[in-house]
Amino acid sequence: MAAAGVAAGALANVLANVLANVLAKMGSGMGAILSVPRDSLTLMRLPDSAADSVADLLDVLDLTCLGEARIVVEGAPGDEETDLGESTPIVFVGRSQKQAHGRVFGGQVLAQSLVAAARTVEPVDGVARPIHSLHAYFVRGGDDNHPIRFVVERVRDGASFSTRRVQAVQYGQTILSMGCSFQEPADGMDHQDPMPPAPDPDDIPTLAEALGEHLDPSAAQFFAARRPIELRHVEGNIYVKPGRQRAARQSVWLKARAELPDDPVIHAAVLAYASDYPMLEPVLRRHGVAWQDPRLRPASLDHAMWFHRAPKADDWVLYTMSSPSASGGRGLGVGRMFSADGALMASVAQEGMLRLKEG
Amino acid sequence: MRSGDPCAVVSGRHTLGVVTDTPAAYAVSDLLDILDLREVGTVHTGWAVASPSESPTAAVTADIATATATATAAVADLAVEVGAGSRVARVFAGPSQKQRYQRTFGGQLLAQAIIAAGRTVAADPAGAGRPLHSTHTTFLVSGADADEVHYVVEPLSDGRSFSTRRVSALQHGTLLAIVTASFQEASPGLDHAEPMPAAPSAESLPNVAEALAGVPEPYAVVCILDGPIELRHVEGHLYAGARPDHVARQGVWLRSRRPMPDDPIIHAAFLAYASDYSILESVLRRHGTAWSDPRLRQASLDHAMWFHRPGRADEWVLHAGHSPSASGGRGLGLGRMYAADGTLLASIAQEGMLRLKG
Repeated sequence: MAAAGVAAGALANVLANVLANVLAKMGSGMGAILSVPRDSLTLMRLPDSAADSVADLLDVLDLTCLGEARIVVEGAPGDEETDLGESTPIVFVGRSQKQAHGRVFGGQVLAQSLVAAARTVEPVDGVARPIHSLHAYFVRGGDDNHPIRFVVERVRDGASFSTRRVQAVQYGQTILSMGCSFQEPADGMDHQDPMPPAPDPDDIPTLAEALGEHLDPSAAQFFAARRPIELRHVEGNIYVKPGRQRAARQSVWLKARAELPDDPVIHAAVLAYASDYPMLEPVLRRHGVAWQDPRLRPASLDHAMWFHRAPKADDWVLYTMSSPSASGGRGLGVGRMFSADGALMASVAQEGMLRLKEG
Repeated sequence: MRSGDPCAVVSGRHTLGVVTDTPAAYAVSDLLDILDLREVGTVHTGWAVASPSESPTAAVTADIATATATATAAVADLAVEVGAGSRVARVFAGPSQKQRYQRTFGGQLLAQAIIAAGRTVAADPAGAGRPLHSTHTTFLVSGADADEVHYVVEPLSDGRSFSTRRVSALQHGTLLAIVTASFQEASPGLDHAEPMPAAPSAESLPNVAEALAGVPEPYAVVCILDGPIELRHVEGHLYAGARPDHVARQGVWLRSRRPMPDDPIIHAAFLAYASDYSILESVLRRHGTAWSDPRLRQASLDHAMWFHRPGRADEWVLHAGHSPSASGGRGLGLGRMYAADGTLLASIAQEGMLRLKG
């Protein structure tokens, strides 16, 4: 690929020192720790353009159904309570985006798991059931060179709700365990937190412009153009330098860098994917730490997301985040995603492991 | 799955007029007793790969038909990939608290699942000394309060610093809830906390029994008096009627009615139990409704809790709640629990189904 050639050239040192380090840390799944080889970017297969990067993400979300597996649960002897018999989960398989550190990006496996679950939820009497919540644990780091199997258990199909459990599996071990719930549309009480004021996204520097302060502009441009999600930090990014203010909150405008298909499952999955990128930044910002800090050892532990209103991921989304607490090597981030017209689309919560190792 | 005040939700599916027994008949059994789970044995969960033609749902029939060749070729590979073979899970059983509406209280399942998971972690040499730091729960259907609940605890991982467990709560082979719990070795690190919002002290507020004195709402009185947790609402309780201020936030002081042993996981289980009483009240308050509203149909859908710092449930805890959103028949409640000295103990999130019928 062309990308590898460019990275192997004059930009390699800069990129390896700064961006690979950043990439390696952002949203990395459990255990994705983190010695990035200097030449790792030369091995990466990066898309050639913004449109290609979105096409690549859509390809990663386009899972293949492999068939059914069978789970047999034999109850304790003489105890019919726990004799669950057999269940037949549906198994999907998908590939991974290449990462500098060789570990699967947490947001990717989250988004794929959402798609896998949603593909097993059928309309009831012609009425589709959109996803309204997910809860996931990142149990182990994933290998970006190896396919991921998604084992979807159809836990329950009730009168208005459907529940699924997904295990993302590699080498016979669970890397992510997720429960998610789908509901047929219903009326009811309606309120939402108002969108906080924020500058227009067009008035905020692009990632390329922002990174250009620290890097060769062509390197920044090269890098920024190859990510499927555009992020614009209202308070400035903290990739290379800590934020100016030690506040435990921040806002980011984000959107997919190309138009997405008109499928609510894809839009929800892309929001889940994007939500994992900056979720722990309020913790880092609060403590004056930048992603590039060599002492930083981050990993996502869990992820919860509630979809309140129809998701749209290819228009600007204001993602406001805060961190209520950090302690014991962990930090909690909570966030809200607003459409540009102020509708609260989703709420997000994630706990991360955040340690500063000396030496 | 019922949540909120276990008594007030009588006004949901069950008609207030039906229940006429004396309070003594509905005494809630002691929470400490029902957390003393009995180990039943072990179950084996085996994964295998089925023939792809076995009863797939319509949506995936086509996919599976086209994938048959692939799937057949991939059978051996898949068996390895999904970890075919036997896994051992430990099983615990615990009694249910009697509830006025005869359905298990969600907080009870959560508290018992936490204890069950904790016992398997503490028994593991790698897990001993790893406190609980988070739980995520899916509530599926409510159980019968006359029957025991079984808890099947599967290990998801035992890593260098973390142990993760998946707990299935079952009655008669029916899944009531799935609770995933994570435990972590004590570790130093970055430390900050959002300050406690201003609130009058618990001692300065009326307890619910006093607050309900003279109110013709016997069910809430009975259950709150008999319940294991004492509650004092800063903005007034919602058991007997709505409040004039339609705001999406509130504060509740809570504590165990009796002193508790020092075991930290018992305190975590109590706080999880107590969180399920009031976490959705910020939604009700925002919309000018109350538990006593006969139109209210309510159920907990999920629950997430992060335990930031150790705390005692037999000392006053302020549960500060806020609802960022309600839509589509659902409402989200977020909460934070503070010790009286301002220490942030835990954060909570729960989505509930909330509808006003008629």
